[in-house]
Amino acid sequence: MHRRGVGLAAFDRQEQSKRSFAELSTQLSKSQVDHLHAQLNQFRTALAHFAATHRDSIRKDPSFRHAFQQMCSSIGVDPLAGPRKGGWWAEMLGLGDWQYELGVQIVDVCVSTRERNGGLIEMEELLRLVSKLRGVSGGEITEDDIVRSIKTLQPLGVGYQVVSVADGRKMVRSVVKELDEDQAVVLAIAQQEGGRIVEDILVGRKRWTRGRARAALENMLLRDGLCWVDEQDEECGKAYWVTSAMKWDV
Amino acid sequence: MSFSTFATPTGFLLPSVHSAPPFFTQQPHPGTHATVTEQWITLILAYARHRKLFVLRVEDAETTDSDWQEVLRNERINRRLLPSYLSVILATMVSKNQATYDPPGQTRSALLYWRSPDEWAEVLHGWAISTGQLNTILTFYEIADPPVPSPLSNIPMNLLRKAIAVLAKTSRSQLIAVADGEGVRLFQGTGK
Repeated sequence: MHRRGVGLAAFDRQEQSKRSFAELSTQLSKSQVDHLHAQLNQFRTALAHFAATHRDSIRKDPSFRHAFQQMCSSIGVDPLAGPRKGGWWAEMLGLGDWQYELGVQIVDVCVSTRERNGGLIEMEELLRLVSKLRGVSGGEITEDDIVRSIKTLQPLGVGYQVVSVADGRKMVRSVVKELDEDQAVVLAIAQQEGGRIVEDILVGRKRWTRGRARAALENMLLRDGLCWVDEQDEECGKAYWVTSAMKWDV
Repeated sequence: MSFSTFATPTGFLLPSVHSAPPFFTQQPHPGTHATVTEQWITLILAYARHRKLFVLRVEDAETTDSDWQEVLRNERINRRLLPSYLSVILATMVSKNQATYDPPGQTRSALLYWRSPDEWAEVLHGWAISTGQLNTILTFYEIADPPVPSPLSNIPMNLLRKAIAVLAKTSRSQLIAVADGEGVRLFQGTGK
């Protein structure tokens, strides 16, 4: 190996090689960045092409839409990013609008049925009513779409929430109201019974004390307005009907 | 199990809520009460219009042979509207000007406004024009019991009087005393 030179000239040489290395490294990283840019552009074009070609399928076919959304989330792209972030993407698909439109329809159904169900609607019923509102041309929608749209409503702070009740059924709550555990049980049973619930059922099936059953039912009736009372019940004299669990052929 | 609409023997389509048992009970929650009562009022007025019924009495909820029994009762689920709730519904209707207690001074019987007095005034005026009876003297009985049935057939005297009073405000009617009671002369008028 060469001995490092001594004297002033050696300093110069060292400086020189440092500069060369720096230049080389800039060149290298620049070419890498260029390459990445190119790749990104290519990806963008491909994605845009994909979106444009399959736009209709994405909007119309629920299973395709689901697969697409999964793909997006696995590569960290949000197809719903509003006009401010990633606008081209939402514009390309029109999916942002689609999802917001669905959100508006969900709000519409929730608000218009609130009087009769106290602000708690079964997922199935919501799906049925929203589909009806959209008409045949709107294409099919799924539970997944509803859940996703409700998420987009969150920034509005209106308290729309998907809640699961005892037997895994989902309900959508459109009023800010806490459901306690007992009420969740009552809801689940009422759904099996077509809406009707009486103290006896809770005492018999759930081994609740009569006081606990009465308190849960009266709370739902008087405090939350989630059920109607029937004072002409043949069996028990007084029955409670959970409106969100009642099925209407409108 | 789901609740559905039902067509009555008189051809009226009852809404699905009418087959829900708790519909027949007065609700303790104020919001729910308002909703359910509103649905009852809509139903009552629609049925009154369908059958051309003008009067609803609290007694109608107590007997089984009233004109109202298709609505006030649901034999299929063995429910009936209780008189106490019907009287609350009537009070609500009166407060919203959808009915008026008739005769005044009691709360057991009400005249239903499935057409308001203003609307009846127009019906009366339109009828007089189309049958060529402007400017002639008509007794109340000729209006309420015309030889050719009209929309005004069987209209209660009190309601007719209110309609005539509405027309008087725009100079389209003039009350006249006739031998066997009251009469009225209707004019073309100049519009409103």
